[in-house]
Amino acid sequence: MAATESLIQRAQKGDQDAFAALVEEHQRYVYNLALRVVRDENEALDLTQETFVRAWTALPNFRGQSQFRTWLYRITTNLCYNRLPNLRRSLNDLGDDIMEEIPETNFNGPAHEFESSETRTHLYKAIDSLDTNYKLLITLRYQSELSYEEIASTLNLPLGTVKTGIFRAKEQLRKSLVHLEESWINA
Amino acid sequence: MDKRLKQDVFEEALKSRPLASMPRSITMDVMARIPAKQRLTLLTWSDFALSSILAACIAALWFAAQHLPPILVTKLRIQGILLYQDFLVNSRWLAPSLLFGLAALLAAITIPTLLKMTMDHRR
Repeated sequence: MAATESLIQRAQKGDQDAFAALVEEHQRYVYNLALRVVRDENEALDLTQETFVRAWTALPNFRGQSQFRTWLYRITTNLCYNRLPNLRRSLNDLGDDIMEEIPETNFNGPAHEFESSETRTHLYKAIDSLDTNYKLLITLRYQSELSYEEIASTLNLPLGTVKTGIFRAKEQLRKSLVHLEESWINA
Repeated sequence: MDKRLKQDVFEEALKSRPLASMPRSITMDVMARIPAKQRLTLLTWSDFALSSILAACIAALWFAAQHLPPILVTKLRIQGILLYQDFLVNSRWLAPSLLFGLAALLAAITIPTLLKMTMDHRR
């Protein structure tokens, strides 16, 4: 972490080698977020590249209030908003019901099912088939491991909307897994 | 197994999704685009060149003013006095005109924000 901060400080002073090291360190995470949203390798690469170019331009304004990677995610999501104009609208349309406590997703099946690779593969496919807004929320929460507050700040959404969106996304995933379980029982 | 534990296992499964590997590294591409994108120093050679030209112009004006013929200096003074008198005569209109212009400018500046707010409200 201290090494990253040192790289950021050097990059802010114009050290291109330090910035190259930051690109090398973070590009995979940015690429994955972009890929989950745009679903196209080339477009995701392009978005990743654009994210870092913008990051370099905006780097003097980075004051370290958030983690560097979270800041990069914010740039990436803004670029995604530009490419997918409906994404912001669909996120706003989730509503801003204030969910103080997130209800637990109701599971009936045995938990060890998640240990089977087949179930996990199905879960990952189910994530891919989610609507883009839900997929973005799930990716930021579970793959990028951001807190609800960080996601709200990154996407510029109310906290309640983020919690509602993630809850609904998980509900959809649960339903998908229930369908899988039923198909196994019937088979 | 209780619900909380199942919830945790589900969330672990969500977190365990492996990152997709990148088809290629983009570091070189990014670094190739950077120099043209950002100005790393506060002053560049073009700033020095521009300020030198401006300084030369100011110096030339000052030098010319110092060497004007006395008759021309007197004429300029007369014109200056006439201009000042004109200003005194018309100054009662100046303040209201300036204030009106400023108010119009401020009103015009708010138009884009109001338009955006209207569009957002419609959505």
